[in-house]
Amino acid sequence: MSARPRRSRGAGGREAQAPSPPPVLTSTNSAETLKVLRERQVIVCVGAGGVGKTTVAATLALRAAAEGRKVMVLTIDPAKRLANALGLKELGNTQSRVDPERIRAAGVEPRGELWAMMLDLQRSWDDFIARHIPQEQREKLLENRFYKTLSTALAGSQEYIATEKLYELHARDEFDLIVLDTPPTAHALDFLDAPKRILDFLENDSMRILAAPALAAGKLGIKLMGLGGSWAAKAISRLTGTETLEELFLFMREIQGTYEVFKDRAAKVKALFASDAAAFVLVTNAQGVTVDETIYFHRLLLEERIPIAAVVANRVHRDFLRGRSLPTEAELAALLEAGSGDPTLAGRLLLTLEEAASMAHLDRRHLDRLAAATEPTAQLRVPRFDTDVHDLADLWIIGRHLFPGEEPAS
Amino acid sequence: MSLLDRRLLITAGKGGVGRSTVSAALALAAAQSGKRVLVCEVNTQPRIPGLFDSQVQGDEPFPVAPGVDSLVVRPDPAMREYVLMKLRFETLYRAVFENRWVSRFLHFIPSLPELVMLGKILFHVRERHWDLVVIDAPATGHGITFLGVPQAILDTVPPGAMHSEALWMRDLLVDPDRTLVNLVSLPEELPVNETLELAGATESQLGMGLGRVFLNRFVPERFSADERRLFPPPGADEERAPLLDAAFRAAHAQALRAERSAHFRERLQRGLDLPLTALPQIFHPASFGAAQTRELAAAMIREGL
Repeated sequence: MSARPRRSRGAGGREAQAPSPPPVLTSTNSAETLKVLRERQVIVCVGAGGVGKTTVAATLALRAAAEGRKVMVLTIDPAKRLANALGLKELGNTQSRVDPERIRAAGVEPRGELWAMMLDLQRSWDDFIARHIPQEQREKLLENRFYKTLSTALAGSQEYIATEKLYELHARDEFDLIVLDTPPTAHALDFLDAPKRILDFLENDSMRILAAPALAAGKLGIKLMGLGGSWAAKAISRLTGTETLEELFLFMREIQGTYEVFKDRAAKVKALFASDAAAFVLVTNAQGVTVDETIYFHRLLLEERIPIAAVVANRVHRDFLRGRSLPTEAELAALLEAGSGDPTLAGRLLLTLEEAASMAHLDRRHLDRLAAATEPTAQLRVPRFDTDVHDLADLWIIGRHLFPGEEPAS
Repeated sequence: MSLLDRRLLITAGKGGVGRSTVSAALALAAAQSGKRVLVCEVNTQPRIPGLFDSQVQGDEPFPVAPGVDSLVVRPDPAMREYVLMKLRFETLYRAVFENRWVSRFLHFIPSLPELVMLGKILFHVRERHWDLVVIDAPATGHGITFLGVPQAILDTVPPGAMHSEALWMRDLLVDPDRTLVNLVSLPEELPVNETLELAGATESQLGMGLGRVFLNRFVPERFSADERRLFPPPGADEERAPLLDAAFRAAHAQALRAERSAHFRERLQRGLDLPLTALPQIFHPASFGAAQTRELAAAMIREGL
């Protein structure tokens, strides 16, 4: 259903949509993931906070742009220097093109276009309300303090509005590919759960049952105790105060008209995610706790029949010994030129090697466990960098780790 | 007045920087100086008990180490407790609040779940059931929202039960003699930026006092400048014995990270007028457990906390 007509832009000959692939990609190598990058219209990067989702999203976008596609990377909260690299200094909710000269300066020929946009969550909500709520209701709604809660503090609201923005961009059909970097969530589940939470909030049967008479009467100033004379409402008001409840009821009345809009959009977003136009990239690091969460999230995505392009394991400790066993201090001392330098150097080198080997070993164990649990999804590993990722050149190097040996298609 | 003489210490920071391990080690360090400590997590996959080789046991505090108790606060049990306290009758609670509609409704009252969770913890602080309470706060943005709930309620909710609860809680949080916020960071760009922003938000937005910065996974300088010149990968015409090459590459990475650690320590010290504790990376064979928590607590004490 979502195979919208595609314009031919950039790399020729890949426009034709093959018959729908199965929802679960069976890619086991980076070539398959690269194919996704070349063919899909939406890539969603998900994962726990602090694993490098933004970096991976930007890397994928840069690579696709180098391949000739017109790409938008939609990011939430990039590191300052990465934001600068993308030209995202003071942009809130406006899209801007990354200067092709910047990309060339990083040693990459941009055959396509790289665009970036930083999502301002509060403004996205306001825009959404402006589009979907009639003028006369809008003002009252925007002023209501419960609206601010809905747009900022309600669990799932950030995730919801990010997908909403993604959907809007996708529908506008200006880009070949949109890469979404999702907000940091406390739990991986939050991202998938977001639309349901918002709909629960709006549907709120409890509100209808507790406050139906007041909502029907449609008048201000109704005392809570008059709300159907409900003893439940009375009990609640002892906890919250009467006025709080009244204001909340009024808010619910204003926003109830949006329920159908939300429901419709949520269904469309869900259909887009499960379609062959989209794919998810699951970003993780090699720490045990994060790996556990990634395994869990992978299973949830499969249950939702959402196509998963790859698991990207970021910041993996390198194995300097490449499978060799640790040397002894005497061996190292012998290898160091005799008589040169501090006699404790061999010992310090050995300690450093031991620490590195211990980290690499631990990472490998967790990532092998992850691979076994997420089979047959491809697992792409990016080594830990010893310096921060600052610029487009760094992103390009990460891309080379993601897709080793794969040169951009010409 | 030292850090550990406060009643409440809150551990704040970006996701993935090690807030839980720092909270656990801080609690242990305090217990080792003779305090009885409660360390709390808020509505999350519990991590603290595992850091003491223990497991979660129910919704009440339970011992995880000598002098240290652990508490995992969840919205539903906390709400039940709060409601019971206010309504006094179990039967009324059952009739009203175990009604499906009512309980859903309560979850949608903005900030009420956060208020009752925070309230449960602060109640223990106020009643002095423990000498010190440590809160492993939610990650940055969520943490600010969580700690800002009492003030947000005072600003918006008309006087009533929620309002008066919020009042004593806010007063406890903003009193630097009783409560301080400790920040956890890593020697990397993003976490350091976020720490600087978080420090600003804690003082200006929340009006709370700051204690210390814990710079986690700090890599100390191990090689001299002369030695470091040996390490970079060799040119095309040079060759190194494979083992020596591995050792030099590992040492090169270590030296770069040590340089970065020093750089970010300086940035934190310049940007924040706070005492800073650099904590080493703790190596462990499989998972971070009680032995590693003890090691981290020892490092904290060694560094003057």
